[in-house]
Amino acid sequence: MKKNFYIFTNGILKRKDNTICFEPFINQETQKPSKLLEQTDLTNIPEEEFLIDNDEIEDEKENQNAKTRKFIPVESIDSIYCFGEHRFNTKFLNFLSQSQIPLHIFNYYGFYTGTFYPRETQVSGKLLIAQVQHFLDEEKRLTIAKEFIRGSLFNMIKNLQYYNNRQKDLSYFIDYLTNALKKVDEVKSVEELMGIEGSARKNYYESWHLIINQPIDFQKREKQPPSNPVNALISFGNSLLYTTVLGEIYRNQLNPTISYLHTPGERRFSLSLDIAEVFKPLIVDRIIFALLNKNIIKQDDFEFHLNSCLLNENGRKIFVKEYDEKLSTTIKHRKLNRSISYQTLIRYECYKLIKHLLDAEEYQSFKIWW
Amino acid sequence: MKITGTHINYYFHCKRHLWFFAHHILMEHTSELVAIGKFISESTYERKQHELHFVEEDFEFVLDFFDKNTNTIHEIKKTNKMEELHIWQLKFYIYRLKELGFHNVKGIIDYPKLKRLIKVELTEKDEEKLNEVIKEIHLLVNQKKPPKVIRKSYCRKCSYFELCYV
Amino acid sequence: MYVILVYDAAPKRGQKVLKFLRKKLNWVQNSVFEGDITEASFMELKKEIEQLIDKKYDSIIYYVFDSKNYFERGIIGLEKSNLDTII
Repeated sequence: MKKNFYIFTNGILKRKDNTICFEPFINQETQKPSKLLEQTDLTNIPEEEFLIDNDEIEDEKENQNAKTRKFIPVESIDSIYCFGEHRFNTKFLNFLSQSQIPLHIFNYYGFYTGTFYPRETQVSGKLLIAQVQHFLDEEKRLTIAKEFIRGSLFNMIKNLQYYNNRQKDLSYFIDYLTNALKKVDEVKSVEELMGIEGSARKNYYESWHLIINQPIDFQKREKQPPSNPVNALISFGNSLLYTTVLGEIYRNQLNPTISYLHTPGERRFSLSLDIAEVFKPLIVDRIIFALLNKNIIKQDDFEFHLNSCLLNENGRKIFVKEYDEKLSTTIKHRKLNRSISYQTLIRYECYKLIKHLLDAEEYQSFKIWW
Repeated sequence: MKITGTHINYYFHCKRHLWFFAHHILMEHTSELVAIGKFISESTYERKQHELHFVEEDFEFVLDFFDKNTNTIHEIKKTNKMEELHIWQLKFYIYRLKELGFHNVKGIIDYPKLKRLIKVELTEKDEEKLNEVIKEIHLLVNQKKPPKVIRKSYCRKCSYFELCYV
Repeated sequence: MYVILVYDAAPKRGQKVLKFLRKKLNWVQNSVFEGDITEASFMELKKEIEQLIDKKYDSIIYYVFDSKNYFERGIIGLEKSNLDTII
């Protein structure tokens, strides 16, 4: 089983001897992006910034870094996550592409910036056409979109039921979501479906103040920017899940830009957003409940600004660790009679979608069966 | 579409597999068994040096080894569990060579691990059958949707197992 | 499967073995590597190493486990390279 590597330490990522090498910077201080740099006023960038890529300087540094350098076996890598300040060159990116390793980048504040998505080696024209056809045909598009929402709502209800049995009365919210799930069948358009999903999700999040034991102020979901710790956790978790789904799509012949629930890729690989909906309750939400209720993450793992709240580096590390463990949690698959990981469940979602698109078998979204 | 030895092989093995393969829905890279098989065949026989590629308008095939002196094609396989498939694959090669003007070619399947050799010859009946098979492959691949899951015991070992059964 | 591998080779060949192993396994300390690896990749590894070493003088020993759950790992003294995936 290949692994994800999450790099928080600042340093240089490079190709060396046909594998990947990471060399931490000697000075680990992270520079907060200054306004000047953001405005790309090049005259104000200190001269060192230009000099640093000079080979001579790198060679000189090499000896110092050699002691702390770490080789990451290229054949053991699933994906790489950059959370720190890293420097790499095209030789490195070409090597990642050749080794079919996606690279996900997060900025100083922990917001997802983008993915280096290596060139796809296998493309299926037949599948691409099917993906487009299912989007263009209103009815076909709605069929798939509905199934994503059914999975999403069903799994949210599962989470509530779990806590409802633990001396918490969540019956109002369970009823509300169950009702929403029923309404999905009669929906006539994707917009209407999004409406139902939106209000169901709002209700679902409202129930969290009953689930979460820590005295954290969380009433509603706010994204831009997250306004309190729970919102910060949701934002960070959802962006991690998005990258995991994207990685799985990459290993299939699906095209990540054609989606059914979300509007196809203006800025993002939107199919990834679609599939992630189904898995948020199982993966992200459960991590958040565990982190807060077991007091693994605390008030001082967050940074509070004027009107926003974000995980700080330590908080992000805690989350990532939990997230990585969650993905490798195994479960017995009933149909295949095999033990598989949560990450594999996501891969199977892609398989089911492929079969649906090719008219082989109707798509049934993942629904927690245990 | 050019028909290859793999198409013939999959036709006898599983028509659904053939359909997916022909439409580039590829799963071979997900399978550990396929990776091991590939390693064994590539390393044991150093076959690359002897390989012969034939590219025609409608066909494409690769011979492991062709012995000019005895006019024999040698095909090397790991196990004989799928012997029938191997025989048909070889008959397909002999048939194509005949069409290209190489007459009286014989075939030998070599299972080095089992110390077993099988001689293969092409009869008139086989030729008719192969003509049928080639026609059917074209029809199959042009079908809008993939053929049904075959539900055989050997499915578990196939790299498409998860795709088909999940 | 999980593999632990130790090697003892003349410096020149040892360097080659080291460089090659870094692609497949984690370096833990001098002449020792370990890590998760697939069966096919391990077959490849063994074949490649055979070509890098001189069998008359060099020696490679490996231990194969079904998974990491089948042994206990401990360290006394310095941990020269940790195997965390969160760096």
